[in-house]
Amino acid sequence: MDRAIIVDGLVKNFEVVQKEPGLAGAFKSLISPKKKTVHALKRISFAIQPGELVGFIGPNGAGKTTTLKTLSGLLYPTEGFVEVLEFDPWARNPEFLKQISLVMGQKNQLWWDLPAIETFELNRAIYDIPTRVYTENLKELTDLLEIGKLMNTPVRKLSLGQRMRMELAAALLHKPKVLFLDEPTIGLDIIAQQKIRDFIYDYNIKYGATILLTSHNMDDLINLARRVIIINDGDILYDGAFEELISKYAKEKIIKARLSDENNISELEKIGTIKKLAFPEVVIAVPRAAAAVAASELLQNFPVDDLTIEEIPIEEVIRKAFRGEQKR
Amino acid sequence: MRKYFQIFKISFEEEFAYRLNFILWRFRNVLQILLTYFLWSTVYANPATQAFGYDRTKILTYVFGVMIVRAIVLSARAMDVGNDVATGDLSNYLIKPINYFKYWFTRDIASKILNLSFAVFEFTLLFFILRPPFYFQTNITVFLAFLLCIILAVLLYFLILFLLSSVPFWAPELGWGSHFLVSVVIVESLSGALFPINILPRIFQSIILATPFPYLIYFPIQVYLGNVSGWALLGVILVAVSWVVVLWMVLNIVWQKGLKVYQAFGR
Repeated sequence: MDRAIIVDGLVKNFEVVQKEPGLAGAFKSLISPKKKTVHALKRISFAIQPGELVGFIGPNGAGKTTTLKTLSGLLYPTEGFVEVLEFDPWARNPEFLKQISLVMGQKNQLWWDLPAIETFELNRAIYDIPTRVYTENLKELTDLLEIGKLMNTPVRKLSLGQRMRMELAAALLHKPKVLFLDEPTIGLDIIAQQKIRDFIYDYNIKYGATILLTSHNMDDLINLARRVIIINDGDILYDGAFEELISKYAKEKIIKARLSDENNISELEKIGTIKKLAFPEVVIAVPRAAAAVAASELLQNFPVDDLTIEEIPIEEVIRKAFRGEQKR
Repeated sequence: MRKYFQIFKISFEEEFAYRLNFILWRFRNVLQILLTYFLWSTVYANPATQAFGYDRTKILTYVFGVMIVRAIVLSARAMDVGNDVATGDLSNYLIKPINYFKYWFTRDIASKILNLSFAVFEFTLLFFILRPPFYFQTNITVFLAFLLCIILAVLLYFLILFLLSSVPFWAPELGWGSHFLVSVVIVESLSGALFPINILPRIFQSIILATPFPYLIYFPIQVYLGNVSGWALLGVILVAVSWVVVLWMVLNIVWQKGLKVYQAFGR
């Protein structure tokens, strides 16, 4: 098997009933519903090799989640060819299901009112995991994710970050060969995000698992994905190495600073391109390689209260990639 | 098989996690029994009264019979399926190597066992407090026929709930409304849970008997009371079996079509 995932000419349309606002509109749509076809995926194609970690990025509603759901067999493709681990996902063959996992940042599989260990036990039975393997996997996952002590707490009492780690553990007990992660870091604080990212990275390396991850958090991709697929409005805009994308479209970093007074504010131009200047806030774009130097220069020569270095928002990278696409 | 045993176990534990909820639900059941009990015991206050083809003993046996049959037949967790479909929680099951129907049937059985044990306790308690005349069926053949009817009723109710829960595939916003209509209005009145169906005017009887609902409560109790026997009993069982087969086939078709339009909502 040289391809873990093959997608060829995938189309997915949804029928959506349009509703006009208000009571009259609701009544009207009851009598003669107006249907509209939403083209969620417009003939996309890509292939992923076993062991690859691929980031799927794009704005909300671009079709990222639709792709993941189709690959895991939840959605019926309108048109096109989909194959995962040489199975047709839609057939939902138990042998196929035993080798995959889908984690959705905003959907939980854990039993809300019971401790997480109960869900783990249930998954052990569902996936036919032998006791010895289960014990080992559980130990390893709980150590890596640092959740050993929380397993006996009812899920509803866990924090979002703790719950997300439990979700990951529940989804990985059967050691899936293919892992679909939908916004795994959504709503988490920075430390929790980092923990999840480290874990995904390790899991990919250690087990050679194929991982497809969607996100609109640029940091997820910087730290994880060597390959990215940018999807917008149901089309693939870019498919290739992450570094190339960054060097092509995200040549700059953004320094945001808060100044304590307005002295020599005009000198700021020497640091980089000023994107916004509304005292006390200032936003400067600097070349990627020079970001650290620029920041220390700023700190030395200006009355800075607070300073952050950020990536260009993902939307901007996509916009740039999109414009590049049109020029070709 | 082990996976379904595990599902059984966790369902049981979950029911206990909602202790107060469960107790209130049982309380509601007791209240309902008391209401119907006092209603009928007033109607048949004079032991000589014969109305609608029932005497005091038989009608009160009917009321108490409903209590047990209800606990077995009408307590079902498959109610939640419609919600799963509407909110997209169904996805959690579809990506796992389990059979969704068997999953919910297992959960139903867990719920039934729990409810039945409570119902037996309540039955005993009310029985000693109210001391109603109760008709104990001693004919073992009739009793076995009654058990068969109960099993068919359990399957029927499961299929009805699942069919109803398929509606949100096409109309996600209908999840709760349709359940209310069917479970509260239709099931309660047409199944015979509130009153025996043969007290209604002929025309209504014929209409109701043409639906699968009387096979949930009414017929099992009629069989227990010995009111249906011989060829008529065989007829009742055959019709119930046919309903199960027909609804099972319809459910399979509907579910296949439903999954194709399923949108796995909620991101």
